[in-house]
Amino acid sequence: MSRTAILSTLVDPLIRQNPVTLQILGICSALAVTTSVATALVMSASLTVVIVMAALMISLIRHHIPNAIRLIIQIIIIASLVIVIDQCLQAYLPDISRKLSVFVSLITTNCLVLGRTESFSRLNPPLPAMLDALGNGLGYSLVLIVIGAIRELFGAGSLLGYQVLTTVDQGGSFTPLNLMLLAPSAFFLLGGLVWAIRTVVPEQTEELEHTPPEMEANRE
Amino acid sequence: MIRGIWDREMVALMLLAAVMPMALIWLWYGGTAALSRLLLTLLVAGIWHLLFMLIRAQPPSFAGALTALAVAMLAPVELNLFQLVLGISFGVVMAELVMGGWGRNVLNPATVTLAFLGFGFPAAAWPDLPLPVAWAAIPAALMGMLAGVIPVHILLAGLLTAALALGAGLPVEPILPVAGLVLVLLVADPVASASTRAGGWMNGQLYGALMTLFAMYWEQTSPVQMAVSAALLASLAAPILDEIAIATWLQRRRGRLG
Repeated sequence: MSRTAILSTLVDPLIRQNPVTLQILGICSALAVTTSVATALVMSASLTVVIVMAALMISLIRHHIPNAIRLIIQIIIIASLVIVIDQCLQAYLPDISRKLSVFVSLITTNCLVLGRTESFSRLNPPLPAMLDALGNGLGYSLVLIVIGAIRELFGAGSLLGYQVLTTVDQGGSFTPLNLMLLAPSAFFLLGGLVWAIRTVVPEQTEELEHTPPEMEANRE
Repeated sequence: MIRGIWDREMVALMLLAAVMPMALIWLWYGGTAALSRLLLTLLVAGIWHLLFMLIRAQPPSFAGALTALAVAMLAPVELNLFQLVLGISFGVVMAELVMGGWGRNVLNPATVTLAFLGFGFPAAAWPDLPLPVAWAAIPAALMGMLAGVIPVHILLAGLLTAALALGAGLPVEPILPVAGLVLVLLVADPVASASTRAGGWMNGQLYGALMTLFAMYWEQTSPVQMAVSAALLASLAAPILDEIAIATWLQRRRGRLG
């Protein structure tokens, strides 16, 4: 593999082929865990570790996986990794683990992880597979952290727990936007983010499903 | 929809003319505070319409003034400038302009703005509208119906549900004025409500039923918040009500014609 190919495998999923904003994969956890930057960071790290390890293992045994049961094998590998990560979080970061609740275990069914192992790791040697997984994990992390930062900043006035804007309750002038801590705001923000990215990178825009009828300005 | 003089802007202007009684009486009672609020909402909505015209070549609409009026009348009162601007920007852009402008929106932008402000700033108190403003909703509704820009079935269905609830002795009397005003101002919107006849009946009844339910069980809130929430839910349900109406019509037709 040439150097540019390696680089593009790693960098492409950050913006150009971003799994969340372009392929709209892994949305469920992206909405659920982004109320604060800390949970978003831990979730991103867990997912990135799981996806890279899964890519390595599946890529190593790719010639031995029977085609008919390949999904079962992939899910078993991913699920075992997720259980390990979940136990580690419960042992070392109990508070955050409680906040993330089921969403770490749900990495098992995250379409992003299975999507990459099924479409890339299964067909490629270990190194490119891991790079691709790392790139996708980082792309997912980027979106999660951006949305988590916006939600925490405007919903609570803090970032990673440090008070950036003093709220009215603390004698400041910033009124927290409660809506930011509710799930719908993540939808709005994600939609706005997709809009912004597609304005900057117009080739991501999907083709119109319908063409609006032409309006005639002066009808007799 | 263009038939003779009836293009989109004509409908918007007729709607504006129809709600004038409400607007004028509200301004009369609200004084300069109400006027400055209305000017602010008009300015923000106007700026967004202008920006979308300049950037996306989307024709601006007088319906923006309608949104501004509804928001100025019904938005929570203690909001500061930033919160009000944020709310109305969200409603006008996300609910109306990104969909392609008035006529293509799924939800009424004013309803979305008010729901956004209500959920975003739950501590701010909702306005107490003076009773004459609610009375002014009646001539407004009549003018709108005569001009054909306010759907009749939705109003009738809403009134019928209110009458049924009153007849059954349910405690809906204190919320009736605000419910009627919001019915005319937000629910009976020609774009975001159900557009088939049967769908319109169901839409009005759904709004009335939700209001009755909220009046009975939603404690510690104001009638305006109940009405805005009911309007939002009824508006969200409008497409499926139309779908049900069309499906039953097709079913009946198939039964008749074989």
